[in-house]
Amino acid sequence: MSDHLPPKSSVKRWLVTTNHKDIGILYIITSLFFLVFGGILAFMIRIQLWNSGAVILSDLGYNQVVTAHGLLMVFWFLSPFAFGFANYLVPLQIGADDLAFPRINAMSYWLYLSSGVLFGLSFFQGSTLPTGWTLYAPLNLPAFIPSVAEIGAFAGILALAVFVASVTLGSVNFLTTMYRMRAEGLRMRDTPLFSISILLTVWMMLFAFTALLGAVLLLSFDHIFAGTQGSGYFGSAEGGSLLWTHLFWFFGHPEVYIVFFPALGVMGEIVQTFSGRRLVGRKWFIIAMALVAIQSFIVWMHHMFLTSINLPIKTVMMVTTIGISLPFDLMIFALIYTMIKGRVRWKTPFLFVLGAILLFILGGITGVFLGAIVLDYSFRGTYWVVAHFHYVMASGAVALIGGMYYWYPKITGKMYNEFLGKVHFAAAFIGFNLLYFPMFIVWETPRRWFHYSAGFTFWHQTASVGALIFGASFLVMFYNLTASLYSDRDVDESPWAYTGSAEWSVSSPPPEGNFPGKPSFATGKLNFLEGPATDGGEAQTDGGVAAAAEAAQPEADHTSWWPLILCATGLVTAIGISGISESYFIWPFVLAIPFFIAFVAMKGASTDGFGIVHAIYLMAAGPMLAAFLLVFHLHHGFPGGMFAANTYFWVTLVGIVSGVGALVGMGFESFFAPEPELAEQWPFEGVTNTKLGMWVFIASDIVLFGALIGSYLFMRLRAGWREWWDIAHANGLETHAVWPGLLNTYILLASSFTVVLALAYAERGNKRRTVGFLTLTFVGGIAFLINKGIEWVEYYFHFEWTFNSGPAASTYFLTTGLHAVHVVIGMLILLFLIARAAMGAYWSEGEDALTLEYFGLYWHFVDIVWLFLFPLFYIL
Amino acid sequence: MANIKLYGIIFVVLGLISTTQFLVESFLPDGLYWVGLVAILALSTGKAIAVAGYYMHLVEEPRSITYLALSGVLCVVALTAGAGYSVV
Repeated sequence: MSDHLPPKSSVKRWLVTTNHKDIGILYIITSLFFLVFGGILAFMIRIQLWNSGAVILSDLGYNQVVTAHGLLMVFWFLSPFAFGFANYLVPLQIGADDLAFPRINAMSYWLYLSSGVLFGLSFFQGSTLPTGWTLYAPLNLPAFIPSVAEIGAFAGILALAVFVASVTLGSVNFLTTMYRMRAEGLRMRDTPLFSISILLTVWMMLFAFTALLGAVLLLSFDHIFAGTQGSGYFGSAEGGSLLWTHLFWFFGHPEVYIVFFPALGVMGEIVQTFSGRRLVGRKWFIIAMALVAIQSFIVWMHHMFLTSINLPIKTVMMVTTIGISLPFDLMIFALIYTMIKGRVRWKTPFLFVLGAILLFILGGITGVFLGAIVLDYSFRGTYWVVAHFHYVMASGAVALIGGMYYWYPKITGKMYNEFLGKVHFAAAFIGFNLLYFPMFIVWETPRRWFHYSAGFTFWHQTASVGALIFGASFLVMFYNLTASLYSDRDVDESPWAYTGSAEWSVSSPPPEGNFPGKPSFATGKLNFLEGPATDGGEAQTDGGVAAAAEAAQPEADHTSWWPLILCATGLVTAIGISGISESYFIWPFVLAIPFFIAFVAMKGASTDGFGIVHAIYLMAAGPMLAAFLLVFHLHHGFPGGMFAANTYFWVTLVGIVSGVGALVGMGFESFFAPEPELAEQWPFEGVTNTKLGMWVFIASDIVLFGALIGSYLFMRLRAGWREWWDIAHANGLETHAVWPGLLNTYILLASSFTVVLALAYAERGNKRRTVGFLTLTFVGGIAFLINKGIEWVEYYFHFEWTFNSGPAASTYFLTTGLHAVHVVIGMLILLFLIARAAMGAYWSEGEDALTLEYFGLYWHFVDIVWLFLFPLFYIL
Repeated sequence: MANIKLYGIIFVVLGLISTTQFLVESFLPDGLYWVGLVAILALSTGKAIAVAGYYMHLVEEPRSITYLALSGVLCVVALTAGAGYSVV
């Protein structure tokens, strides 16, 4: 049970907080750390390029530095920096107390930090990824990675997976919040530009990052199970580098806008404030952003003009790419015209935004060159791309820095030093252009390579001097922002004239509950209705046990240790997996299952009182652990077995066992996050926050399975659709019966039926049948897994048709395996639900049955996925 | 309040459709492979719609929830169709 927040001076506060403003500050500070980390690596690149050929780094060292710089800046600095502001400001701008799921918000942050730590540690595991930030195949495969880098490279890949988990949770949270928790009278179209830009960004993040997760999952499969050349997904002829580029750039191009959109929102806000007028064509500006967000998913192949894709699709992508530049033109003209029509005040935030617009114009124009097929043939793989890319990305960063100056008084309650702010801008703008413009001049320098024509030396040295100035400018910024914290330049609500959004109507920094009353825009402008904003309407439990419903006006919770603990265990697990060997991989996860059951029993008994169900769980867990250990030893042979495993195995085991403990702890924690009584909820009226969150999560899971199924279809098309199974038979698959798939279809359909029956009887208050049908669902899951297991054993051990036995084997094992993992996760949740239902939850209170409905959504989705795996992997 | 009888009818229909898919695969002449492929995938789509509509209660939810789920499907279609077309 959580309690009130400790004071800000307490370290504990920053470890347990679930408050959106605290988490926003944590994001901003952490991302600035990664800016420095990536910046130091950038300096190393520029020193290496002082002269053609090696200066300070080896070949592998340079490859690592280039890769890590790109990944850190794109993933661990730019987006999280923007989402620091989003965390802090979006609830304030829309009139909400907090995000919809505060604990999950904390988890997003700790997962983000964990992923960054994991990536940083990979440098100390021999070598981090040396592939370039695009991780192109086959350079991303074990066969092409130096053996010294194998573990560190895989740790880097896992860091990306953990990062995506953080992003997905964040996307679910922001979408739910923005659709369900806007203050009364605040229509979506009237939401401040920064919040609108975040809304569109999280839509793109939801789908694009899940595609990346799919790609990373396939790559992890190749690393663990199919490391040899010519096998797996990206080492095979059917998948190969082309499959990677499709998956990566389906994510990668929207990612450019994911990075840039929050900056566009910042530009809009700052231009309005410092021009003293509403954005010209505001409605069209928003429509243009929405168009770009949609179009961003249909331009990805312009990054692939040099691959073997056919000419018609290249032409289509060239057209869509040119098309996507048009809405940007509109947005830039709107910003410029607003400045012209207004009376500009040349404060630091405005200077940064003006600089960002100039950089973006140059970056955008040079990007159009790359969108033209013929020009791209020449420019691809050169410093033209490096310069263009940095102009676009850095324009986003520069605008966000402007945003930092803009909202610094709001967040800290202190005003920064204006003179130093302008010095920072001048040095940054000059330094940046000195750094990157010469790259256009010597564009023929090959990308990711430190040998270049001797005639280019002057320009590369000029760029290195620019880097020094650019980097030094940030020292001014850090000094300014730190020293200003201790200054006497206090600010009240708003230090700026002409601000329009709600965050400027409360004190700086805002109070813990954000507003002095319930915010309302019903009259057309912001008012605060009487009464505290946090007294809550319908209870949402944020995934935990329902808070005491009888409490008339329970206070919202703001603290929990579990997000931090859970993510720490995730970090330990990921470190372990990075070096675990193939034959040991599955065992820590299997061995953790009995621990999970025992933890549910013990925690359940202490929370709900001891019942027969807890005794059954405890009695089952011990023999189950013994049985798993026996099989484990039999599989690996006496006397070695478990004790022959390397350290990484033990680290994984410790991580996953403590992780399931943390999951159970979080599941049983009572955490109350109220929904607002009065809120605009278009277009999701009539559903709860949790249900909408579940559906958003399912939408992202659709893309994850879609990426895997799409990869299967892609590979099968390349192999020859009807020759697919012939190839599989040639690779060792003796027979491929349809009936096991049909049987599992019946089983899963039956289990879906029992889940809805459990829900129906819970709504009727029938405890016995509720527990009974939940148990039957669990039994269905077991039957499914046994049937699937028999099939896998037959293929893997009897036919020796293994993960490495060609494309049909890889796609079959991974896709059906991922589905089986979803089934197992569902069954573990079922164990939790059964234990709680048996002790009186879900049926005694009508509303509590919703928990079963939320679980049902997940389970039915897993069922639906199987309805497509059955024809694709069994019938056709 | 959930309609248990309706859930039961849907379960029976889903089982019958699955059996039909199996029978199509078993007895359709090889020359009609592509017809069978379309039929089998259409039947799977029908089953998915039934599960989503009635077991996941999409028919009762605001239509925007359906659009939310379909937006994920649309992304998958764009990726798969685009990537697939690029190599044929």
